[in-house]
Amino acid sequence: ALLPYVPRVPPTPLLGKLTATTFTLERPRGVFARLANASDTVWLVVALANASDTFRNPPSRDAVPLYEQLPTAHAYMTLETAVAAYACSAPGSAVLRVGGDTACGEQGGRDPCNGPLPSPGPYRVKFLLMSCHGPKAETRWSDPILLRRGTGGTAVPPRSPTPARVGCWHVVL
Amino acid sequence: MAKSDDGIRILQGLLVFGNVVIGMCGIALTAECIFFVSDPHGLYPLLEATENDDIYAAAWIGIFVGFALFALSILGIVGVIKSNRTLLLVYIILMLITFAFEMASCITAATHRDFLTPNLFLKQMLERYQKSEKDNNNDKWMTERVTETWDKLMLQNQCCGVHGPSDWQEYTSAFRSTHSDADFPWPRNCCVLDARGSPVNLDGCKLGVQGYYNSNGCYDVISGPMNTHAWGVAWFGFAILCWTFCVLLGTMFYWSRIEY
Repeated sequence: ALLPYVPRVPPTPLLGKLTATTFTLERPRGVFARLANASDTVWLVVALANASDTFRNPPSRDAVPLYEQLPTAHAYMTLETAVAAYACSAPGSAVLRVGGDTACGEQGGRDPCNGPLPSPGPYRVKFLLMSCHGPKAETRWSDPILLRRGTGGTAVPPRSPTPARVGCWHVVL
Repeated sequence: MAKSDDGIRILQGLLVFGNVVIGMCGIALTAECIFFVSDPHGLYPLLEATENDDIYAAAWIGIFVGFALFALSILGIVGVIKSNRTLLLVYIILMLITFAFEMASCITAATHRDFLTPNLFLKQMLERYQKSEKDNNNDKWMTERVTETWDKLMLQNQCCGVHGPSDWQEYTSAFRSTHSDADFPWPRNCCVLDARGSPVNLDGCKLGVQGYYNSNGCYDVISGPMNTHAWGVAWFGFAILCWTFCVLLGTMFYWSRIEY
């Protein structure tokens, strides 16, 4: 099912909403309520803008392209979250930060990594509601999001495992 | 004869008064310059790293000139009261030398103020703050001092960057090559820190949420004291020089009137 919601970068003036390797999205509230069961999960699909048309929803959770496959697949899925986090009255911040986790990306991990984006893009994103049987609903693709260019520097995010980190985007604003 | 006698007395009185004022101004100049040289705001490392700290040289000269003015004013008072040609000649010559030094100091301070622009400090901050590869010992020491000064500035004045935290996003920097953009859109000291020195809300700081990061630039905090310093040395010095010029003219006239 195609939901009419269009993901977007929040219009509020946040200085850090677009950096060279991360961007921020408004958290959709109550968008999936009509269709979702409690056991469903919502994923964020991030694709290079020119590859968004050719992206096919994965048939099951095992086929989900992860962060490490971005260079080859030109798209990946991340921010796997229980659908309850997107309910109308869900607590938590009003924004989601994509690219904020510099400690993941270990080889062989099957957890969805929200790692920093390797290039300025432009990227298009959409939310995908998945149940145990496969994709159930999706939002529309966002407008192309272009990151800052030329200031990414040469710093490589640390690869060594760090103690369990709370998801970066659980901010009480 | 009585009339010219009175005239000479008045001139003597004026010269003594003029020298008293010079003496007091000399002490004030010394005190002011000592205050500036002591660097109460801790900004000297930034100037030193620009490799052009002439306003400090001007302040140092001011210290010695102030002291010289005080000593010479005493000499002048003694010379005028005793009407001694030799003393007054020595006074005039030494005063002219001091005049020249003070003139140099004032002009240096006044012209170097124009050197202190936001772009100068921005370039220095981006090139040196947290720079990891150091070329030589001198470079390493300068880098350490600049980093220390900026950290202290950002912490104590709740500011970030020269124009604002956007400096760290808009330009590449030495900081950016060792600190990833995702973890450090701007340095940690730009975040609002609690009493123990850790950010109150790290994610809010990284996002740029008001209240969790310092959104002002530090330029006002840097340029304010430096401008005061430069103007203080330059204009007080010029004022003293104007007064000294008049007193010197009067002394030369008096010297020419003394009969052997």
